[in-house]
Amino acid sequence: MLNKELHIKPEHLHVDIENILKGMGMQITDADSYLMELIDNSISTGLQLVQPKACFAIFENPQFDLTKKTITIEGKIFKTGAVVCSMLKRSEAIALFIATAGPQIENLSKKEMAAGNGLEGLIFDLVGSELAENLSELLHLRIAELVNTKGQNVSNRFSPGYCNWPVTEQLMLFELLSNMQCGVSLSPSSLMTPVKSVSGIIGIGKNLRRASYKCNICNDKHCIMRRQNS
Amino acid sequence: MDSAELLKKLSECVEMGKVNKDAPFPPAMKGMDGADELTRQALEMGIKPIEILNDALIAAMEKVGEKFSQKKIFVPQMLISAKAMNASMEHLKPFFQSGEVKRKGKFIIGTVAGDLHDIGKNLVAMIVEGAGWEVIDLGVDVKTPKFLQAIAEHPEAIVGLSALLTTTMQSMKNTVNEIHAQYPNIKLIVGGAPVTDAFSKEIGANAYAHDPQSAVSYLNAQVA
Repeated sequence: MLNKELHIKPEHLHVDIENILKGMGMQITDADSYLMELIDNSISTGLQLVQPKACFAIFENPQFDLTKKTITIEGKIFKTGAVVCSMLKRSEAIALFIATAGPQIENLSKKEMAAGNGLEGLIFDLVGSELAENLSELLHLRIAELVNTKGQNVSNRFSPGYCNWPVTEQLMLFELLSNMQCGVSLSPSSLMTPVKSVSGIIGIGKNLRRASYKCNICNDKHCIMRRQNS
Repeated sequence: MDSAELLKKLSECVEMGKVNKDAPFPPAMKGMDGADELTRQALEMGIKPIEILNDALIAAMEKVGEKFSQKKIFVPQMLISAKAMNASMEHLKPFFQSGEVKRKGKFIIGTVAGDLHDIGKNLVAMIVEGAGWEVIDLGVDVKTPKFLQAIAEHPEAIVGLSALLTTTMQSMKNTVNEIHAQYPNIKLIVGGAPVTDAFSKEIGANAYAHDPQSAVSYLNAQVA
């Protein structure tokens, strides 16, 4: 098993202003200069406050049971559901990861909300989400670089709570990363603190590739990602 | 400036989101009095609080809601207007407390058990409050007994349940069932990113709010 903590500096992170506007149901053409400036300033503040941490571990020889829709890693059986199990079935190894933007942006969002500054609170919340997602993407790319040197590729990444993979399975994922959780903890209902964190699974193997799929591989009609991508 | 002009100006401030004199938004109203100063002036002039509430504030928020429904404005402008409205409401608080002015009703809101997301719930709370409702915010990860206790304390309230995760929608379903088992006549609104109208019907909620304004529209329709 390979364990690794990545050192990603805030200046390596990027927030796309269009994604912040999308989160508020807007396009760039809908925004006035006041809003654009507010978002711009909030992104700068977010980049000052972000405390990026990301870590992963690679586990060899995962076992897949397509009938039971499970993946077994180090004796732990993940009931990932059909989508994740089928997308990763050609994996020779599995990377489990945790990435967090830290608590400060989330705290600032809450503080703004409590002060009655709903717009500022909302923008900081969206900036925090974008940073956590961007951090996961950087981690994904680093894992790809690492395994490419051995002639292997990576799959797409999947997180508990999506594609019908129960969020409660996050507990097992954390257990397998027991000595490196980047300061992220789980609530009794298996949600992460800081909230602006992402955990997940990435397949590694010669016959894998990252697909530019959206939501056509999954049948979860209620999923938030489906709405965002539609 | 007479009272009608003052109320009109106050209404414009709320509609445009001019909170106070120092507020930089909207740029076209820079340096002008905002909702904060104009409400104080209105009270000093002797305008009745109920007139301020109905003729200026609620009238303005209705226009804001209408513009939002027509996609002429978006969530940010709604939030700025709600902030201006709340600046004005601060001056009216003593009249609410004395009973001279009444809010439209009570709205209990919370994010369901197992879910820690509060941003959507907070936005709805802010805009519903801005529309003249008293909001009782139970927070996040709210288990059913806490909702039941709040309903027992405010039996006339309408209740809003929020969820952001597909996996916590089951909690929403359980809470709706348990509330309706004990209080069949309580009106329940559900919302949140993964929630749909079909899901709200499936679990027996009374209404689905896809955005803060649709929650306000449903609430207002209950007291119309």
